[in-house]
Amino acid sequence: MEIKSLSLRARAVVEGFMSGLHRSPRNGFSTEFTEYRQYSQGDDVRFLDWKVMARNDREFIKKFEDETNLRCTFMVDFSKSMEFGGDDSGVKKSDYGRTLAASLTWFLLQQRDAVGLATFDRDVREFIPPRYRQDQLNTILGRLETQPVGQVTDLCQALNKLASLVGKRGMIVLVSDFLTPIADLEKSLNLFTAAGHDVRVVQLLDQRELNFDFEDAAIFEDMESGRSLILDPSLARESYLEKIKAHNAALDDTFSAQGITSFRVTTTEPMELVLLRFLQQQPARAVVRQRRSTGRTAA
Amino acid sequence: MSFLTPLYLIGAIGLAIPIILHLLHDRPKNKQVFGSLMFLDKTKPPVDRKRRPTHLLLLLLRCLALLLLVFVFARPFVTVDDPEATGKRDRQWLTVLLDRSASMQRGDLWIQAKGNVLTAIEQLSPGDHFALYAFDNKADLLIDVTSWQGSASEGEVKQLLERLDKPSFGGSNLGQALVFAGEAIQEYEANPDEQPLVMHDILVISDIQKGSRLGDVQGYEWPTGIKVSFDQIGEDDQGNCGVEQVAARSLWAVTESVPSFRISNSSNSSTDEFDFVAQISDSNKTLSQKVHVPPGRSRVIEFPNEWLDQSINQLSLRGDVSDFDNIFYIAQEKQQSVRLVYIGEDKPDDAEGSLFYLKSAFQKTSALNFDVQFISGQSTASLPEADLYVVGDTLNEKLSASLDKAVRLGSTALVIVHSEKQTSNIKQWLDAPNLVIDDVKSKDYGLLQSLKLDHPILSVFRDSRYSDFTNLHFWNYRELQNLPKEGVQVLAQFDTGPPAWLLASREKGRLIVMTSGWRPTDSQLALSTKFIPLLYSVLQPVLESKTQSRQFFVGDQIKISKFNNGNVAGSISIIPPGKEDASIKVGDVFLPDKPGLYKVMGTDWSDIFAVNILPSESRTEPIPMDQFQKLGLPMNDLAATPEQLASSVAKEKTEAQRHEYWQWALAAMLLFVIIETFLAAKGSRTGELITAS
Repeated sequence: MEIKSLSLRARAVVEGFMSGLHRSPRNGFSTEFTEYRQYSQGDDVRFLDWKVMARNDREFIKKFEDETNLRCTFMVDFSKSMEFGGDDSGVKKSDYGRTLAASLTWFLLQQRDAVGLATFDRDVREFIPPRYRQDQLNTILGRLETQPVGQVTDLCQALNKLASLVGKRGMIVLVSDFLTPIADLEKSLNLFTAAGHDVRVVQLLDQRELNFDFEDAAIFEDMESGRSLILDPSLARESYLEKIKAHNAALDDTFSAQGITSFRVTTTEPMELVLLRFLQQQPARAVVRQRRSTGRTAA
Repeated sequence: MSFLTPLYLIGAIGLAIPIILHLLHDRPKNKQVFGSLMFLDKTKPPVDRKRRPTHLLLLLLRCLALLLLVFVFARPFVTVDDPEATGKRDRQWLTVLLDRSASMQRGDLWIQAKGNVLTAIEQLSPGDHFALYAFDNKADLLIDVTSWQGSASEGEVKQLLERLDKPSFGGSNLGQALVFAGEAIQEYEANPDEQPLVMHDILVISDIQKGSRLGDVQGYEWPTGIKVSFDQIGEDDQGNCGVEQVAARSLWAVTESVPSFRISNSSNSSTDEFDFVAQISDSNKTLSQKVHVPPGRSRVIEFPNEWLDQSINQLSLRGDVSDFDNIFYIAQEKQQSVRLVYIGEDKPDDAEGSLFYLKSAFQKTSALNFDVQFISGQSTASLPEADLYVVGDTLNEKLSASLDKAVRLGSTALVIVHSEKQTSNIKQWLDAPNLVIDDVKSKDYGLLQSLKLDHPILSVFRDSRYSDFTNLHFWNYRELQNLPKEGVQVLAQFDTGPPAWLLASREKGRLIVMTSGWRPTDSQLALSTKFIPLLYSVLQPVLESKTQSRQFFVGDQIKISKFNNGNVAGSISIIPPGKEDASIKVGDVFLPDKPGLYKVMGTDWSDIFAVNILPSESRTEPIPMDQFQKLGLPMNDLAATPEQLASSVAKEKTEAQRHEYWQWALAAMLLFVIIETFLAAKGSRTGELITAS
């Protein structure tokens, strides 16, 4: 994280990543025919399938996938817990997350896709609807550059609100550490998956949050609530590891139940590899939908 | 260095508390922010046995403050010998009051008491003062403070106590003895040549029985600096039962009265069955009666009928644990004869006259025999001698002059004004040449007012229960005009103004004039409850000069002149009980010192009187100590033995000589606490700054 500017950082990441990328990303996002529908009065006659009409003497309208490119909305957790890290264990989770979001934004805008941004902690802080404009990159990067001021995370509340803000179907990339109770998370995520969004989740964790490899007894202070606890890490480690493991397993179950692609990333991982892994991952949702539409066509 | 309360030093164990806290409660200095503590549980505080206590200065201050607190409670002191002050401090004044009242005759109380006096003397230091009093009815100085020569006088005290082989028969007047001793100390202190003493103690060695009289202490302002301690002996008392005669209520209520006696059993008594035995004089015959008196109760016993005819001179109580007060001596009361002369024309059986009621009023009693004579006012016979003349009519010149003479020589005359004809008589008797008697013509009855209830004649009615005269109506009364301004005292007036009862002093005698009599035509006086008390009250000075009770107590002042109807002349001698041949020549007053039957002898007469122990001496239960405190006595200790008193004296001396350091320790502790607070506050501020940076 020697490069201070987020814009430069994003460009460096994407250029490094692009140099090894051989397949054009456009191939995966072309428009495609979805279904026929009987013509009803008022429909645009341009979409009439003249060939079918000539053959069967029946009017059918050809329906297509959205004409636009990919609409992608990044939802980045700006709560206090994301500020953890940054010393000898790599970068802060927030820096890593913002760089990741910035890189993808830059990358997608390069391909003329519409990109939006939402930041949240316990509520939605900022929302930039997905657009493809000349200055969209600057707007998003400008928002990402601001320091997070949030306190406590309330993922579910924020997601519920965002579900109403995000309109058209598109890709949702949720970047958070998910260090919050997840009892109602599945319900909130369901709002997006049910609306047909392709939801992808990046869970950002610091290496020490996974290993809890502290040595000396210290006053541990919760970054969000400010609560402090005197702890001897050697005594607390075992229980901690058990609990975080269970938490992550529960998260994985939630995501797979919703058909959500999830990545668990530590801040020490090289970002290019993470990007590559992200882009190579087929949307699980798309697979499901394809299978469903195939079935329908056959019927 | 010593400690007054060394047990508090155990508190020094508390020093371990700050040390342990400094070791255990050493909070980790480093702070670690962490994303979320949701997966972390509280662990036990980290203990590092190798860790050395931090904040050594604070720990030191805290330990010192605790140590000093322990010191403050343990009260360290150093005894210093100040040669200049020693002589002054060593001196104390011990006054011992030795009870020698009759109740001290019980068991070995007297031997114990004498032993305790010697013990008290042994505890004295060379420079101390000592005084010894023995008290019963009065306090006698046995060893004067000026004659006390320290240990050289101890032998003298021993000899003196050996000579006092028995206590007296007197009653215990503890209050008077205490006041006496207190005043003696004050008087001695007033001497400016004397070096002042540090301590004054009065030690009372007594059984402190309930019958002790403490009246003198009540209201007495006790001098400051004198403390009183009590050495109570005979605490294991088995109780006592006593006999006393129940006195007749009033002179006119003793007609045909049966002698009665109160037997009181003390509350700590172990027995309740007694034999009440009467000894018949001049014989060995006795009469006996069983008496049941529960502990703490008393019972009045009247003589049974078969005892009344017997000449009993001694009563005794058998079955009582303490026998010092079990014999009660009785001298049979002799009837005193009182002569009354009524001068008037009334018939003795005429209920409309005055004489009838006069005779009825003065009935014969067991103590008094009234001889009522009556003569006509016009009689030519000479006026008979009498203690009281009652004049109800006009007297001829001869009788009038005789009466005037008799009154001047000391007789009492009661003159009832019935008519204006008595004017010349009364003019003569009152020395009032212009006197006029006027019948008051009034449709309404007269009432008495402005009664001088403070006067001896009317003082019997002073109690508010008897002072209501409104039911006494006077139908006819007279007014005496032009009375002399001096020598005549108005005792009561009628509500219309004229005097009703007058008193005139005539040289040695008295003349009482009533302007309305007690005839039914005059007033309701004869039928009212005031009549008999009024007549007895008029007669009282006569009775007092002539009558003498024959029952006395040890210590009473017996007026010899009252014996033999007041006719005492020449040398009088008294034969004490049990010593027929040892007659004592006495003057006006005799003070009996032991109980028994005494014989008083004149030239041609003899009489017997009985002397008993004061009934209060029989009340042997101890007085509760808080009663002395209520009386305002500055108590040294509630019940001190001579040893305890001596040790308390030694303790006070030590207190005076030692230098205590607890105040300094307290001040140093406070200083350390302040420094500790300052350092701790400073330390915590520094900690905060480090965290913030």
